[in-house]
Amino acid sequence: MNLDVILFALFAIGAVASAVFTITRRNPVAAAMSLIGHFFMLAGLYLTLHAQFVAVVQVLVYAGAIMVLVVFVIMLLNLGNEQQLTERISMRTTIGTLVAALFAMQVVTGLLARPTGVNTQHADAAMIGATAGIGNALFTTYIFPFEAVSILLLAALIGAVILAKRHLHEGI
Amino acid sequence: MLQSIPLDWYLILSAVLFVIGVIGVITRRNAIIIFMSLELMLNAVNLTMVAFSAFLGDVAGQIFVFFVMAVAAAEAAVGLAIVLALFRKKQTVYVDEVNLMKW
Amino acid sequence: MVESYIPLFVMILVGIIFGASNIVLTEILGPKRSTRTKLSTYESGMEPVKSARERFSVKFYLVAMIFILFDIEIVFMYPWAVQFKELGMYGFVAMILFMVLLFSGYIYVVKKGALKWD
Repeated sequence: MNLDVILFALFAIGAVASAVFTITRRNPVAAAMSLIGHFFMLAGLYLTLHAQFVAVVQVLVYAGAIMVLVVFVIMLLNLGNEQQLTERISMRTTIGTLVAALFAMQVVTGLLARPTGVNTQHADAAMIGATAGIGNALFTTYIFPFEAVSILLLAALIGAVILAKRHLHEGI
Repeated sequence: MLQSIPLDWYLILSAVLFVIGVIGVITRRNAIIIFMSLELMLNAVNLTMVAFSAFLGDVAGQIFVFFVMAVAAAEAAVGLAIVLALFRKKQTVYVDEVNLMKW
Repeated sequence: MVESYIPLFVMILVGIIFGASNIVLTEILGPKRSTRTKLSTYESGMEPVKSARERFSVKFYLVAMIFILFDIEIVFMYPWAVQFKELGMYGFVAMILFMVLLFSGYIYVVKKGALKWD
């Protein structure tokens, strides 16, 4: 048992537990809070992979910005707990879990049957994960997707303003 | 200082997280929780890409994580605006009460 | 490499322990002589009038949404700023193009009045 194994186990168990919490809570605020915990656990996992910049951005964007928006919308709509629709919800849950379990089996058996055989991280992992490495690649090889992102963000900005602004003066 | 955790562990973990997201999307009725489950799935894929990036020594995986994050932010802005518009129109965020397409 | 994060983890751990122990210790050590006045929401303040669970205005949503999109812009600017010298004029022009597109979005938002509060 060395430190890497302990950290991986800690973050992995935390990530799975908070993900399960997120999809089982009936109160949307509780689900959002455990999702924030999940994002922090993933940031920890990124650190074990030497991706420092991705880890910081994960906290900044997901936990800091996207979840703020989600919590605002929950507050805006003043949602209570999800009502139970007993017979329909049980059918949905069974079918959904069944489908997902089949999918999980497929993925896990696929992974176990053909182990990648890659057991150590690449020697350059720490260098790649640093901000400088990201910057170099982003502005040389990936310059076109980078510019495309600005168009995507522009479209999202306009779309969301139009969708949300229409009834601004009618209360909600 | 290289580390002792094989790539397979990361891949299995992200598969498990992805499946949890799938279960959330299929079984929940609240559109906002479905949205959060989608974020879970996106993050599971991000974990796979960062893992491959670190183990294969290729920066492409981490760059694509940024693009996924940008798409997730755009999706959050527009998707939640749609939820708001839906709530205004129908006074509900439960997806099974929005079945106008059926007839 | 992971070892270099140990101070960070120790820091987080100390923060959690400090916060939790303060809550627990006041619960254990503090005297409990509660009266009706002491238990009211705002002691010697306003009487609470109604539930705090009220609908927010959609304006908050608009501001949060605009914040997210410009937050992403900052995320992309950070690696550029770190590598500013190495990337030179090429990186500068690429970033200007990126910023012009997003700034036109900002102008649209302002013109549309989405940031106006009243």
